[in-house]
Amino acid sequence: MDNSVSLDNLKVGYGKNTVVLQDVNLSIAPGEIVCLIGANGAGKSTVLKTIVGQLKKMGGRVFVNGEDESDMSEADVAKAISMVMTERIHPELMTCFDVVATGRYPYTGRMGLLEEKDITAVNNAIDLVGAAEIAAKDFSKISDGQRQRIMLARAICQETGIMVLDEPTSFLDLQYKLDILRVIKKMAKEKHIAILMSIHELEFVPAIADKVVGVSKDKVFVTGTPKEVITGANLEVMYKMESGTGSVLCEGLWNYANSLTRLI
Amino acid sequence: MVSSARRNRICFCVMLIVLVACFFFGMAVGSADISVKDIFMSLLNPGDVYMGRIILSIRLPRIIAAIILGGALSVSGFLLQIFFGNPIAGPYVLGISSSAKLFVAISMVFLLGNGVVISSIVMVVSAFVGSLLAMGVVMLLSQKVKNMSLLVVCGVMIGYICSAITEFVVTFADDTNIVNLHNWSLGSFSGISFEHVFVSLVIVLVTIVITFLMSKPIGAFQLGENYARNMGVNIKRIRVILILLSSILSATVTAFAGPISFVGIAVPHIMRSLMKTAKPIVMIPACFLGGAIITLLCDCIARTAFAPTEISISAVTSVFLAPVVIYLLVARREVSRG
Repeated sequence: MDNSVSLDNLKVGYGKNTVVLQDVNLSIAPGEIVCLIGANGAGKSTVLKTIVGQLKKMGGRVFVNGEDESDMSEADVAKAISMVMTERIHPELMTCFDVVATGRYPYTGRMGLLEEKDITAVNNAIDLVGAAEIAAKDFSKISDGQRQRIMLARAICQETGIMVLDEPTSFLDLQYKLDILRVIKKMAKEKHIAILMSIHELEFVPAIADKVVGVSKDKVFVTGTPKEVITGANLEVMYKMESGTGSVLCEGLWNYANSLTRLI
Repeated sequence: MVSSARRNRICFCVMLIVLVACFFFGMAVGSADISVKDIFMSLLNPGDVYMGRIILSIRLPRIIAAIILGGALSVSGFLLQIFFGNPIAGPYVLGISSSAKLFVAISMVFLLGNGVVISSIVMVVSAFVGSLLAMGVVMLLSQKVKNMSLLVVCGVMIGYICSAITEFVVTFADDTNIVNLHNWSLGSFSGISFEHVFVSLVIVLVTIVITFLMSKPIGAFQLGENYARNMGVNIKRIRVILILLSSILSATVTAFAGPISFVGIAVPHIMRSLMKTAKPIVMIPACFLGGAIITLLCDCIARTAFAPTEISISAVTSVFLAPVVIYLLVARREVSRG
């Protein structure tokens, strides 16, 4: 049961009374990429935050590698799930290398000193995302795109079987999007990591997703392959579009998506 | 990587040498002229001479106290800055020192009034209670006031309220023993006894060692709560630990030396600039050493500048360190954690 996540009737939201999404049932197998899509505020991030323990779940269960997450210690969860969230971090006087190295936290000793193998893991992760030339730079002085790569490298060197990524491609230019998605796909296919990510750019979804979950109102509206989910009718419901506009949009979207699939 | 480790070593060595130099400088200067030779003589054979008396029973405890408590205060400020995720925090500017002072004054006046001689432990405990109480108020406020500069303004106001009540308590307490309270309530190392030095040495040493051993989770906390949690840190526990450790340190300082202004906020900033890092494993010892040096020097100035009249240590630290705080407030873009 390694590298898998399954959500069993998960109910997520804020505080005690604000339910955002309920009856979420979903399983992610090793090496599988699952994309969460839906309108702004539909609850994509809320699900992801609940899985990583940032929000308390309101009901249901989360299984991580077959084990109920509520029975696991913080340290065990840290070794099982890594994350890249949209929240900006503001570390002081830390180089990109230092930020990536924080991903080694679950593996370092009492004082958190990096050993040879940790340094190798950090450097490998930095190479993988193509950020070697900025490794020594101050994290607060790099661009958004570079920052996102560094945060992905940080998650990679945490060496977990599950990665949770909240809009990893937002605010990036086209080339950065392609690069990041390539790395994500490579992690899933080569290292059999289970990946759950939210994404707004539907055109990229067919290139990377094995499974797509569309959320609307407070429910999972549709689940399936990209072909099954990204249809005119579904988009009209999820994004509250006028009827008839969905199919027009989908036509162009799939053309672009097919080109992107060849590039990623 | 290598160069930063080397840089750290050099900085630590230089600071240690400066601290030792300040130690002897502090022994030598004062109302009575004492040469370095005299210091060695009296330290080596503590005879019953006039010089030896001055050195051993007046200057030595005072200097050791300045070193230990100055270091403790800076580390306390560093921990608070991590807790609030912001460099504009310190026990003095958040009103924590003043609240500790108020509680010490109240328990002293009350106990002395009832003829009970107050022990150093009781002083530390009352200061600790005062610290925690102010910390609780500041934390409540911080949920309403997201802007750190505004929170500092609130902290300064809390400080004023506590100082005013302390003044009131001290003025209307009629016991002659309490006359000393006036000096102490402004911040002073004068009249510190070996017993106080010993108690603070034990408390500070133990707390600093624990703090240093907590470097790893404290460092993770610097990336924000959410990422720290994802690294496997128990957020609730580390928050409580940060509050307790910083409160014990600032309470110990206030119990014996009164509120000392701006050391806790300014020294960590100076050390970050010097060491070019914010990592706790470097910053905790660096803040301790830096705080010790700066406090010791300020105390030397406090007792020699207008000798034989002494000025309060806070007067000196304010002159030198308040500009650093102003710089911090002006220069830093306000960053909030979402």
